[in-house]
Amino acid sequence: MTLKAEEILNILKNSLGDALIEQEIKTYSLGALRKRECSEVWIKIDRGAFRKAVEEIFKLDYPHLHFITGEDVGENLEVIYSFGLFHGQPGKEISVVIKLALPKSELVLPTITDLMMGAETNEREIREMLGVEFEGLKKKRHLFLPDDWPEGKYPWRRDEFGVDDMIKHTHKSVKEIRGGKE
Amino acid sequence: MTKSQYYIPIGPIHPALKEPIRVEAKVEGEKIVEADVKRGFAHRGIEYMGMKRNAIQALYLSERICGICSISHPYAFVVGSEKALGIEAPPRAQYIRTIIAELERIHSHILWLGVVAHEVGFDSLLFWTWKGREKVLDVLELISGNRINYSMYMIGGVRRDLKESHIKALKEMIDYYRIFNQEMKNLFLADPVYKARTRGVAQLSKEMALKVNAVGPTARAAGLRMDIRQDIPYDAYADIEVRGIVPQDIVGEVYGDAYDATLVRIYEIDQSVDIIEYCIDNLPEGKIMAIPNYVVLLSKIKRTKGEGIGAHEAPRGEVIHYFKYDGTRDGPAVWKVVAPSYNNINSWAPLLLGAEVADIPVVVAYIDPCMCCNDRIAVVRDSSGKIVDSTTLHRMAVEKTMRIKKELGVKK
Repeated sequence: MTLKAEEILNILKNSLGDALIEQEIKTYSLGALRKRECSEVWIKIDRGAFRKAVEEIFKLDYPHLHFITGEDVGENLEVIYSFGLFHGQPGKEISVVIKLALPKSELVLPTITDLMMGAETNEREIREMLGVEFEGLKKKRHLFLPDDWPEGKYPWRRDEFGVDDMIKHTHKSVKEIRGGKE
Repeated sequence: MTKSQYYIPIGPIHPALKEPIRVEAKVEGEKIVEADVKRGFAHRGIEYMGMKRNAIQALYLSERICGICSISHPYAFVVGSEKALGIEAPPRAQYIRTIIAELERIHSHILWLGVVAHEVGFDSLLFWTWKGREKVLDVLELISGNRINYSMYMIGGVRRDLKESHIKALKEMIDYYRIFNQEMKNLFLADPVYKARTRGVAQLSKEMALKVNAVGPTARAAGLRMDIRQDIPYDAYADIEVRGIVPQDIVGEVYGDAYDATLVRIYEIDQSVDIIEYCIDNLPEGKIMAIPNYVVLLSKIKRTKGEGIGAHEAPRGEVIHYFKYDGTRDGPAVWKVVAPSYNNINSWAPLLLGAEVADIPVVVAYIDPCMCCNDRIAVVRDSSGKIVDSTTLHRMAVEKTMRIKKELGVKK
């Protein structure tokens, strides 16, 4: 069974209702001589409906988790999940990208490791890089950062919790290092 | 009763590992009862650096994420950036990209076959396979000028064109690998010792492969028909109808073990050779860059707002890059890299449970791990807790070398 991007979006719309804030279907034409359409479903949802949206996706097909990432956008953190649905069928894979805004005062999300064991790596990375807590995540040891990494420092944050004071050159542009000359 | 459980740390630096990672195993006798993996020993904060640089600088940086599959990350980078920026590469460039990516798959798979032969203790086979790998490296050097880090790709095309002499060399190479791969099939797949050492080791079921989010040849060896070249075809792959290679199509049954992983990789070399042959026979004419001027390209990036996901099927599995260009600077505002080993290492902990200590190298090697891909800030502190900068580190390294030389009595 495969579904088209519009059908997936409709299913999500029906189950999420008002929690769906923004929606978009992005279509790209890929290929050199024989063009093919490839679609992606991009949605922005309310953080409270996150778990429901993920469960809805798991009902359609067992997805493949592409990535979890996040960006520090001032007052909020924007967390992005991307799932690949219907992989294994030629030309039919559709990415479903879920975005949610997390206020910095309450950086908590439910874990998805009970549905997909492999998501542990991604969640542990986001936890140490951005400081988002995942409710229900069992292993909380640092993954990429050393075990003695100082508490309350998150490399991807752009506020006072960031690491700019810890690094000498890597965070500067070439221009800054050369003193304004490029 | 006496203590029967022991803790065995393997790595980060260990003779059986080519790159740093730590496997912490608890064993009872020979059986492993608990396993944990600690990553990050090669973390260099490349994504962080990329977000401070312009897109072209970050593209070259992405090539240095991995030393073996150095074109996989640029490939996902250009595909993702082109989606985000709305640029389309000319057909000829798309074909050349595919050729380079497949050349790399051949050399990476042969490298793995050599490594796994070494891990099972068959060193003469290691030297023989790596001798065969030289051919493809020579061709890559001829085309790009380098054995690794080819710097071929650019957002919206490729930097170097294929000449007649390159095509001649590619054709010669194709003939060479048709024969060489047949020999490899005989040596690996038909060899009773190799079969005895790998059959049933590191066995991953289809369900488990899905749950741990396995990708690439690891997932395909477990019978999952997933391959980015097939699922979301891009560039020349969309013209070729690539199909993922799974053991059930070749031998009719799936074990999902290290033997099946070997099978899948050897047959993928055949597939890569076929793809290269198709591409050079059908190579379209025309230009190779959509925007040949870098200044124009960078100013376009600076003006464009957009997001995109680039995916490429690297030799080890899918590489995914996520980009966000915010329209204020000429580089990515957010850049997230997910490499195949990032996902495939998830399979170690379940696979090691119940295995024997002697199987650890095979389990570790069968996914073809690439730590530099998986880890992407290293800070060194002195005894008082202060961060040591790179100049001091370099001075200390030179001093140490001098001291050792003196101690050993080395004159010049």
